Formats: sequence, structure tokens, C-alpha cells
Amino acid sequence: MGDAIVDAAPGTALDQSSGSVLQGNGGTPLSIIREGVGELAVIDPEVAKKACEEVLEKVKLMHGVSMDSMAKSDDSSGTESTPHTNLELANGEVGDGCEIKCLDDSPSTPSRIQEEDENTANTVKSARRRQKNNSAKQSWLLRLFESKLFDISMAISYLYNSKEPGVQAYIGNRLFCFRNEDVDFYLPQLLNMYIHMDEDVGDAIKPYIVHRCRQSINFSLQCALLLGAYSSDMHISTQRHSRGTKLRKLILSDELKPAHKKRELPSLSPAPDMGLSPSKRTHQRSKSDATVSISLSSNLKRTASNPKVESEDEEFSSSTESLDKSFCSPVRLAPEREFIKSLMAIGKRLATLPTKEQKTQRLISELSLLNHKLPARVWLPTAGFDHHVVRVPHTQAVVLNSKDKAPYLIYVEVLECENFDTTNVPARIPENRIRSTRSVENLPECGITHEQRASSFTTVPNYDNDDEAWSVDDIGELQVELPEMHTNSCDNISQFSVDSITSQESKEPVFIAAGDIRRRLSEQLAHTPTSFRRDPEDPSAVALKEPWQEKVRRIREGSPYGHLPNWRLLSVIVKCGDDLRQELLAFQVLKQLQSIWEQERVPLWIKPYKILVISADSGMIEPVVNAVSIHQVKKQSQLSLLDYFLQEHGNYTTEAFLTAQRNFVQSCAGYCLVCYLLQVKDRHNGNILLDADGHIIHIDFGFILSSSPRNLGFETSAFKLTTEFVDVMGGLDGDMFNYYKMLMLQGLIAARKHMDKVVQIVEIMQQGSQLPCFHGSSTIRNLKERFHMNMTEEQLQMLIDQMVDGSMRSITTKLYDGFQYLTNGIM
Amino acid sequence: MGAPSLWGTALCERKLQLFSSSSSTCSFGRVTTCKQRLCTMAQAEKKGGLLRKSSASKKSLKEKVVLMYDEIFMTEDPSKCSPRFWEELFLMKVNLEYLEGKLESLDGEELVKIKDNINCLFQHCIQALGEEHPIRVVNALQTLCALIRGVHQKNKSTSGFDIINMLVGFDKAELCMKNLMESLDSLLCAEGSESLKSLCLKLLLCLVTVTDNISQNTILEYVMINSIFEAILQILSNPPSRREHGYDAVVLLALLVNYRKYESVNPYIVKLSIVDDEATLNGMGLVIAQALSEYNRQYKDKEEEHQSGFFSALTNMVGSMFIADADEKISVQTNEAILLALYEAVHLNRNFITVLAQSHPEMGLVTVPVSPVPTTPVTPLGTTPPSSDVISSAELPLDADVQTSNLLITFLKYSSIVMQDTKDEHRLHSGKLCLIILTCIAEDQYANAFLHDDNVNFRVNLHRMPMRHRKKAADRNLPCRPLVCAVLDLMVEFIVTHMMKEFPMDLYVRCIQIVHKLLCYQKKCRVRLHYTWRELWSALINLLKFLMSNETVLLAKHNIFTLALMVVNLFNMFITYGDTFLPTPSSYDELYYEIIRMHQNFDNLYSMVLRLSTNAGQWKEPASKVTHALVNIRAIINHFSPKIESYAAVNHIAQLSEDQVLEVVRSNYDTLTLKLQDGLDQYERYSEQHKEAAFFKELVRSISINVRRNLAFNTLSQEVLLKEFSTIS
Repeated sequence: MGDAIVDAAPGTALDQSSGSVLQGNGGTPLSIIREGVGELAVIDPEVAKKACEEVLEKVKLMHGVSMDSMAKSDDSSGTESTPHTNLELANGEVGDGCEIKCLDDSPSTPSRIQEEDENTANTVKSARRRQKNNSAKQSWLLRLFESKLFDISMAISYLYNSKEPGVQAYIGNRLFCFRNEDVDFYLPQLLNMYIHMDEDVGDAIKPYIVHRCRQSINFSLQCALLLGAYSSDMHISTQRHSRGTKLRKLILSDELKPAHKKRELPSLSPAPDMGLSPSKRTHQRSKSDATVSISLSSNLKRTASNPKVESEDEEFSSSTESLDKSFCSPVRLAPEREFIKSLMAIGKRLATLPTKEQKTQRLISELSLLNHKLPARVWLPTAGFDHHVVRVPHTQAVVLNSKDKAPYLIYVEVLECENFDTTNVPARIPENRIRSTRSVENLPECGITHEQRASSFTTVPNYDNDDEAWSVDDIGELQVELPEMHTNSCDNISQFSVDSITSQESKEPVFIAAGDIRRRLSEQLAHTPTSFRRDPEDPSAVALKEPWQEKVRRIREGSPYGHLPNWRLLSVIVKCGDDLRQELLAFQVLKQLQSIWEQERVPLWIKPYKILVISADSGMIEPVVNAVSIHQVKKQSQLSLLDYFLQEHGNYTTEAFLTAQRNFVQSCAGYCLVCYLLQVKDRHNGNILLDADGHIIHIDFGFILSSSPRNLGFETSAFKLTTEFVDVMGGLDGDMFNYYKMLMLQGLIAARKHMDKVVQIVEIMQQGSQLPCFHGSSTIRNLKERFHMNMTEEQLQMLIDQMVDGSMRSITTKLYDGFQYLTNGIM
Repeated sequence: MGAPSLWGTALCERKLQLFSSSSSTCSFGRVTTCKQRLCTMAQAEKKGGLLRKSSASKKSLKEKVVLMYDEIFMTEDPSKCSPRFWEELFLMKVNLEYLEGKLESLDGEELVKIKDNINCLFQHCIQALGEEHPIRVVNALQTLCALIRGVHQKNKSTSGFDIINMLVGFDKAELCMKNLMESLDSLLCAEGSESLKSLCLKLLLCLVTVTDNISQNTILEYVMINSIFEAILQILSNPPSRREHGYDAVVLLALLVNYRKYESVNPYIVKLSIVDDEATLNGMGLVIAQALSEYNRQYKDKEEEHQSGFFSALTNMVGSMFIADADEKISVQTNEAILLALYEAVHLNRNFITVLAQSHPEMGLVTVPVSPVPTTPVTPLGTTPPSSDVISSAELPLDADVQTSNLLITFLKYSSIVMQDTKDEHRLHSGKLCLIILTCIAEDQYANAFLHDDNVNFRVNLHRMPMRHRKKAADRNLPCRPLVCAVLDLMVEFIVTHMMKEFPMDLYVRCIQIVHKLLCYQKKCRVRLHYTWRELWSALINLLKFLMSNETVLLAKHNIFTLALMVVNLFNMFITYGDTFLPTPSSYDELYYEIIRMHQNFDNLYSMVLRLSTNAGQWKEPASKVTHALVNIRAIINHFSPKIESYAAVNHIAQLSEDQVLEVVRSNYDTLTLKLQDGLDQYERYSEQHKEAAFFKELVRSISINVRRNLAFNTLSQEVLLKEFSTIS
């Protein structure tokens, strides 16, 4: 526990410092911070930054003394009050407290208006003027922090940009008030700051991380993994003693096991999972009011809200600790880490095998062995709900296309549960148990449709009750074997198919035309044009082509757990030997763009897929379901993309085709922007998926921002737009093509509006990173430039037209595709 | 008595042997008193008690134990004059040869005279099984083995009840045997010595195989009543014990299941059929897989040895000129016992089917074989299981070259080897059993689902008989396909390679049945298998051709019409239901092409069956069935042949190419009408009860004899055991 105690001290410091800032120093430190407001709201950040720096300098000179004294008081009080504060911070009562308050809080309009005022007023001048005038008004920055507009994105931004420990500490505290999901999004940023930035930021973040780790085992895992992955760029000697490594050890040492279980349930309920803005706003407003009142009656802060919390916590932790110990296995992360480790080990072993076929076989048998150890207290971190993994349908796994690595896709059967920690691990049901439901195997089952078969499965609702019936069944079966029963058993009756029964009923000979048989054969085969042929060199094509629902049904049918109502199927791509940190970065940017476009109501469609970074060279990816690569489409169908669309969705005029076309255009526009903004390279057809609805999805963000494959100078165009794509959109003159360009414009304008949110994600991750995408010094500047802040909308439109034009004509795109075809056989 | 003192006694015993044998004049009474005295002496100077080994080698000197045996073979009670006789007996190393030989040398009447003593010995053996010190237990187990075998050897003619009486005595039999079985059970289940467990299994195997016909072995009634089934399962479910004893356990189980299988309720059948514990079933599957794959490996080694080098190839060629069956040399003794176990598992336990599909479970798991420190006692008393070395050495290496496998694949490979040569009786039996197992598999829904699973592809290298008219197939380039393709390949291979004078009619029937069952599944579940059906078709047509050309020879022995009917009906399956399971429209065209191309055979067959069905002979009925079945094939031939001829005439082509014929076929479907035949997709389910009973009786008999022959108790040197058990206490 030693580590925790030491780390708790900064926590106190944080509280005290912010407290003392609020009460003692006449608001000046806060007024410095206030300048940051300008930076946030101002469109041109450069100006604001300068202003902020200026003021900061000044204040440092002025209040250097008071800062020192502050630090001293921290040191002296820190050791004494450690246990209390530790608990206080760890238990999230701060957050709870403010939530309670938010409920009985009425909207405070005046302050809000003023905040908005302030946001609009953003020149350096006005900021300076206010600085002079605000002695009474306390702090504008604080007002901003407490305003409803202050969201997690801003918090992260201030945490990153502010050099003021007080502010950082305050924000560290504020993290407790945000919804878990919102903070989770910025977890990579938080942890990267924790690892690579100075002490103060780290100290500000740590309590929150520790608190969340205590709450959720999944969070603990993610933290541990990310900390490991982002520390790996450090020099090995510094890495060993770095903060990140220490925190990682702390998490893995299992000292952060949930301190209380009862607490978790109530804390879950007040945080509504649905709509984000309304609840959040009230929430923050209330918090701000609360803190305002506290800040006025300065000394009350700790006594009013926290002591109650503390005492309660102590009771809780002491009373439940013993329980917890009995509840939890000694190292709660161990099974999951073991699970991940074995998946990675499989990947490593597969990589040594020469052919796809051998890899697939090996994968299947390795997974069947893994199955013997399941169910276990393990879960898939990419899933969005609590669950236990019960089975890996090993025969369904496929090896994905990769030249030298062996990424593979597995499907994972899980049982959803309310709470991962408290729900017991499901009991193992042997593989062969599924046969009990198939005991009707002697019955004619031939022409039965899927629905019928499915319904016959649901007739065995509960496995437990089935147990007895099953053994009885067996004995009954067995008796057939015994002599007395056997003499005139009807067991010898052969299997009748529907066809032959009908033919038996009629005495008249039935005649059939050979032509009919032949015709039926070709018709039935023609009816399933969408299924891909099995190709030993590309085993994943067939597996990915199968509609997800179909696959789920099929696997459920074949699974001994399939009858359970909370059975779910998940899939995951296991990547071993690949660095997924860039993928994670891309995921975050895509997610951010997606929400920006949603917020701005631009109907652009992109599909960020979840990434789990396990280490600097391994990870998992949530596969996009119902999607195959364009390469696979072309290779399997031997059709042009447009013809494939026609085959899959119907003729030009059909509803299905038009919908698919619209989806295609919207996704195409979305990804073109993404590709442009992020400079996504290596865009061959193997890296572009096409889903069942017609959307395209770009995958593999291995080359973004400053990196490109082998720098061959290919792919100089802004994004990939081939004539085939344009053909699907209906040609250059079609409405859809114009719609496409319009969408791009709208998308770019919307993205520009929220540029900071996007840039921030990238910028923070650049800290301490050796990733190739940050190569060079101008990565962020170039990124910002691509938003073209200084252009008018007309100019932007011209830009879009230019880019589209250029991409279409781009010889290099064609060249690159040709190059890919020659070197990797990708069509 | 504590262990150390017991140890002392044991040493003292050896000393006494010297003493008593040197002073042969001593009476027994004197010896025993002497011994007692010495015993105390020995205890006083425990450490000094060393024995001289050379003593036993002197022929004139009799071992102490032999003297004690002799005492038993007297009519009076040996414990009368020395009350601790039995206690001492089990401290001494058993002399199996002597005991068995002695029992054998006695004739029936003499044996009856010493019945009481034998009963007594038997009872004391059982008593000794419960003893604390393993040495006594080991000796008792070995004595029991000798006793059971000896009495049986003597009394081959007498009935089973007499044997029970002779061994145990009717009055005490039930209790005694109960105790015996319970002791064995607890020894097998205990965390005890592995050699001890092994010995227990040997004793059980000995007990089970003393008679040639297992069902006549009435003493097994007690094994039925006092089941050791659970102990066997426990051995199989626990990896280390499975590694050591799995083979014996599986063989024992297979034999027990066959005790009075058809006459009474055999509890082992009942229990085996409801086992659903995965670990146990997998363990059983693994033991079988290892035995089979070891066989495959041995065969392959021999084959390679056989073919390696130019010189040997040459001599082989020359040799084969003179020796009719050169490949006789590469025959490896087949293992029917393990095959029987596989059959019983597949046939009785439907859960076992899933095990067939399990990838070899040990693979990949890091199984550092639990340091086989004493390598000798692994198979100390071996029934010489061929697999023993694989079991103990690392289970399937993590080698990149090693293909993943499962029991089914191993079994298919094994079958392909066994079925190559069906000349000698053992192999014929094995081949037949293989086909029966495949029949059971082909009927099972789950197995079929797995066989046809498009996601699970394997490359199965079946062994193909080297034949003059075909090259040794470049099977390295085999495609990776669903397993059912391998089954079909195996069937095709069999069909093609067994058209010989000694026509294995029965095997052919089974083979065609298996194909039929697979087709029925495919039709039922609409599985479109991408298989080169053409190979099957031409194999079937060639089979018909063979039947007809050897009509007179074959008809003398077999009803060839059932086989012909089955073959024709397979074609009818393809013709009328092809739309449900053929992979492509063109494969349907190819079917027609093949029929038309080989129409001569069908024509001949038709004229033959027509001839026989019009004659009022014994073949009238079966032959007429074939005529009816041929209706569609004849319709096809009659429909297309003139069309093809006219096409050739019109286009002035002498010889039509395949594509041209196919073109004609394609354009003339619509004018052809076929008759839907009844019950093409029905089959009789396999049932062992009546049809196969005789076969299994014979099979079990030969297995029993084989197991008994291989059982050898005395291979376990006392020293190894002493070494092991001296450290236990």
C-alpha cells in the first residue's frame, strides 16, 4: 500500500492548493488562468496562446513567493492527512456529491449569461481589461470551469496546456464529475500525459485513475495495458523507474481491487447511459453553483461536502474489506491477462507456419484447446457490456490476410451479465451437450427452413432441467441395444426424407423431367450469388462475407450455451506483432469527427472500430461486421464495383440500390475527408472494406500523418477516389456525385469549426511518442493547416473541387493500385 | 508392524532362504522355528543383513518361496504348523513359472484334492491386497495372476463354475470376489504407485482373457456385479495416469463391454453409453488416437525403409517378381483391441462422436512430460502396447511441420493402411471393423456435420496401394478439404483396389453403404460438396464391369445383385436428387456424360440381369430388382445416344469431344423424362445385434487370445519394485 500513501499526498496538495487559491490569493492566480478562456473560444489559437504566455510570465514574477509558501504547506500537511484524502479521492464521493446537488439545483441564469458573454469576448484586450476589473468577481476561469460548456474535451485541453499546478489539480478533481464514458474516450491522452508530462499533471490525474481502477476491472486492465504501451517509447532505463511503470505495477499488483461492491450499484444508476447533453448540463451547472457557494465561504469547502463523505467511506471500506477479500480471487486481473497472453501466443506460433492453410488448421486446434479452459473470469475488452467468455467456436476462426504476421479473427461466445465482478462465472457445459437438443436426429429434417430449425432449438429452454431428461433419454436409447427390446424395434426404419414419403404415398409412378432437375440445380446455385467461394489463400473472405446475423444464428445453434437467453456472439481480431497505437489514435480522431458531424448534422458516415492496445506490438481490433475488402469483392466476383453493387442490391432504380448508393456516397465522403485530414496512406483495395449496406470503411491506419509506406512517392493525391468509385456514385455528372462533393464541403466546414477537439487528440499523443506518424517536427502544424481556418466557404468549396479533381486524375493512385497488384496480388 | 521392521523381516527372509536351502535336511518345522529365531536376530542387526545374490542361481537350491508353494500343494493346511505362513508368503518374491507350472502339472483330480489350500491361497491373496505395505500387495497381485492362469490352463475342458469353485469355493465366492474387486478398485483409484496400478490392470486383463471366449468366463459375473468401470474412467480422465495405463484401461474396457453382450444386460455397456464427461472421453480418444497413429508411423517407417535407395528399389522389383506379395513385408501387426475400443465408444456412446473431431488435445499445451524418472516401470509388465512410447514421450511436438490432426483423421489413415491388404484374416477383420466404424460415423448427425463442415478443412494423406497402372500419387499436393472428401476418397480407393478373385463382397457392400449414407446426409441437409464426383462414378462403373466379367466365379459364392443394385441406386441418387447436393450444374452434365460414355457396362449389366430374371433361377428376384433400378440409366442412354450420333453425323465429326457431348446433353434435357424411384434416400441403420454378432464374437476371441499372449507378469523385476517401495515408506 506504500505506493498509494505516497501518491495520496499530492492529492491533498491539490485540494489545498485549489482551496488556498480560491480563498487567499485574491483571485490573481485564477485570473491568470482566465486568460485560457480566450484561448479556448478564440478561433485563432496562436494569438490567445501568446496572450496567455505573457500573463503567465507576469504572474510568475508577482506571486512566486506565494506559490512557494503554498508548496510548503502542502508538504507539511500532506503526510498527516494522507489516509483521509486518499479515501476521499478514491471513492468518487466528490462526483456523487455533486450529482446529488444537481438534482435539487435550479438553473442559475445570470452566471450562464455571463459565461457566454465571456466566450464571445475573446480578444486579448478585453481579457486584459477584465483582469484588472475582476477583483470582486473572483475568477473567470473558474466560472468557465463551472459552466455547462466545460466538457471533458476542454478539461483535457486545459490539463495539457495549462502550466499552472492549481489548475491541473482542479481539473484532476473535476474529472470525477464527468461521465465515465466521456473520460474513457480520453484515457489514452490522460495516461500519455501521466507518463510523459511533468509531475503536476501526473499528480492531478492519478487519483482519478486510481479511483476508476478500483471501480472497474476493465478500466484497470485498459490502464495497465495503455501504460505499458505508451511507456515503451521511453528509454529502457528511465522506463523502469517512470511513473507510468509504477502505476502499472500498482494496478497489476491488484492493490486497487474494488474497495466496495455495494457502492458500485447505486453509482451506476444515477448516471444515465442515454442522451449525453441534457443530463450533463444540469449536472455541471449544479456543480458549478455548489462550488461557487463554497468558494465564497472558502473554508467550508472541505467541511461541507467532504467530511461527510470521508466518514462514510471509512465505514464502508472497513466493513466491506473483509468481504471483498473473500469475494475476490487474489489477483483479479490474472485470468484475463492469461487469456490475452494465450491469444497472443497463438498468434506468435501461427506466424512461424508457412501457409495460410496450416495457419488456419493450427489456429483451429489451438483454439479448441483454449476452449477447454473456458468459461473463465475473462472478458473481451472491446465489448460494450459486462460479460464472461464461455466458448470460442474454434472452427469458425480464420486467419486474415497478412504477409508476414498472422492476425486472426475469432468469434467469441459470451454470456452477458449485470456486473462482471459479482456475477459468478458460468458453469461449463460440455461440447457434446448440444447433442441432447439434436436427439431428434432420426426425424426427417430435410426441407426444414432455418426458422423451423431455430424453433426446434428453443424447445429446450433450460439446460438445467434438461439434465434429467437427458439421462433418461439415454437409457431409453440404450434399451434399443438390449435384446428384449430389440427384436421388433422400429429402429431399423430408415430415414425418410420428405421427397420419398410423397413418392411412396402415391402408387402411380412419378415422372420427373430431367430438365427440371438440372434447372433446379442451376437456379438454386444462382440464388446464392453473394456467398463467396472458399479460397485457401484467402480463408477470411468466406467467413467475413457471411451475414453476421446468419453467422450468429448458426454458431448459436451449434453451441452448448446457445440456448441461454444472455448468450451473445462477439468477434475480435487478434493482432500480434503490430503496433496498434496509431490505430487507436485514428480511432479517436474518427470517433471525434463522427460526433462532430453528428452534432453539426452532416450526414457523413464513418465507422470507427474499437482498438485495444495490449502492448507496443500487439492488440485487438473489433472487426467491422458484414464487410469484406474491395479486393476480396473484386477477386471473388470478378465484377467491377458498380456491377457488384447491381448484383448485390438490384437494379439502378430499385430502392435497395439507391439506398446502397447513398450509403456509399456518404461513407465515401466521410472517409475522403478522414484520409485527407489524417493523410491516411497505403490505400489499396485490401484496406478498404465494403459492407452489406454499401458503405465503404477504411481500415489499417498504419500510415497516417507524417508517415507513408516506404516513401515511394506514390499516393500523392489528397485521398483515394478511383473511377470505379465515381461509377458507383453515378458518374461525374450525376446528382450523387454533386451530393458527394457537397457532403465533403459540409463535413470540412463542420470539422473546421471543432478543429481544436481533433487536433488536441493528436497533439497530446505526440508527447513522448516515437510513433512514425509523428515523424518530423511539423506534424501538428500541417494537420492544423489542413483545416484551412483562414479560407472562406467559397474558397473551401474550390479546394474540395480541386482535391476531388486531383484525386480522380491522380495517376499515382492507379500506380499504387498497380504496384499493390504486382507486389501483393491485391486487386 | 511398522515398515522398517517389515523390511527387516524381508531381508531376514532372504537369509533364511540360504539357510534353509543349504541345510536341506531340516524339516519345515525346524526351519520355521529357526526362522523365527533368526528373525529376531536380524531385527537386532538390521543393517548388517546383506544377502548374497548368487544363491538363487544354484539349481539344487530351492527358493524359500518354492518350498512354501510346495507346502500349499500338499493336502494339509500349510498354516497348521506355521501359523504365520500366509503372512510370510507374501513377503517373498513370487515365482510365477514355478507356481503356474505346478498348477499345470496337476491333473483335475489332484487339483480337487488341494482345492481347500488353493481357496485359502486365493483368499489370503485378496486379504493381502488390503495390506499397508506395497510389497505384499505386489506379491499378492502376482500370485493371483499365476493362480488364475494356472487353474484355467489346467481346466480348459471344465466349466466356468468349476473354476470358481476351484479358485474361491462356491460358498465364499461372492464375498471374496467382492473384496477382490473393491481392493482393485481402491488400488486403481488411490494416489499410489504407478506400477501397482499397472499390475492391477494386468491382473484384470488376465482375469478377463483367461478363456478364449469371453462370454464363457463366468468369473466375470463378479466383475459385472462389482463394477470397476469408474476406476477405468478415472484412469482415462487423469492425464498422467492415462499416459501410463491408458492403453490397458481402454483394452480392458473394450473387452468387458463384450462380455455376454447379446445375452444379458452388461452394466459396462450401460455405463459406457452414458458417459458424458469430456475429460474422460477425450482421454479415451487420445489413447486410441495414439495407438493408431503409432501404427501409422510404424507403417510409414517400414514403407520408407522399404523404398529408400535405388538399390533397394531394384531388389524390391526383382524380389517382387518372385515373391507374390512383396508388400507383406511392410505389414505391421494390426491392433484390433484398440480398434474394438474405438468401435464400442463410437457405437455405444454418442458423446464420443465429438471426441472424433477434437484436435489432439495435448498438442499445444505445454506438456513437459512429467519427468519419466524410472523409465523401466512405464510398461513394466507390458501387454506391449505399441503406443506406449508415444504416450510417455512428449505428446505431439510443437513442430511446424506436424499437421494438426484429430482422431478421425488418424483413424482414416489407419483404415487406408489396413484396408490395402485384406488377405490375411487379421487384416480382413481389421478392415471390416474399420468399415463398420465408418458406417456408424456416417449415420451420425454430429459426425456428419463435422465431416461436411466447410470451415474445417484438412489435408489427409491416405495410403494408396502402389499399383501398376497408376503412378504413386503426388499426394503432397492434396487440396485441403472437408473431411468427408477423405472418407469418399478412401471408399473410392477401396472400390478400385479390391477387384480380385477373392472378392471381399461383405466389405464392398459396407463401402457402398457408407457412400450412400453420406449422400443421404448431403441430400437431406443440402450440402453441396465440392468433390470430384467423377472419380466415384468411374470407380462404381468399373466395379459393375468387374462384377459382370467375373459373373460365373462370383455368383458361385455371392449374391452380386445386391451389390449391383446398391451401385445402380447410387447412380439413381445422383440422377434424381442431384439438384440437392451437386456442387455445380455442370457436374450434373458430367454425370450424364459419364453414364453415356460407359453405357456399354450398363447395357451389359441390363442384359445380364434381364437374362437371369427371366430364367426361373435362384437369382430371379434380386436380378429383376436390378432391372427395375436400371430404368433411368437406360432412359438416359437411350435418349442421348441417338442425339449424339446425329450430332456427329450432322457436323461430320467422327469422334466427339467431351465438350461437344456435354453440349448435346445440355441441349436435350427437356425431352427426357425420368421415373422417381422409391426409397433412394433411405437406408437401414446399422445394428450390431443380429447381423454382426458372429463377427464380433470371433473378433473378441482373437483379441482375447492376443492380449493374453502378450500379458507377461514376470517382466517386472523385483528389484525395480523394491527400489520403488523402499522409498515409499
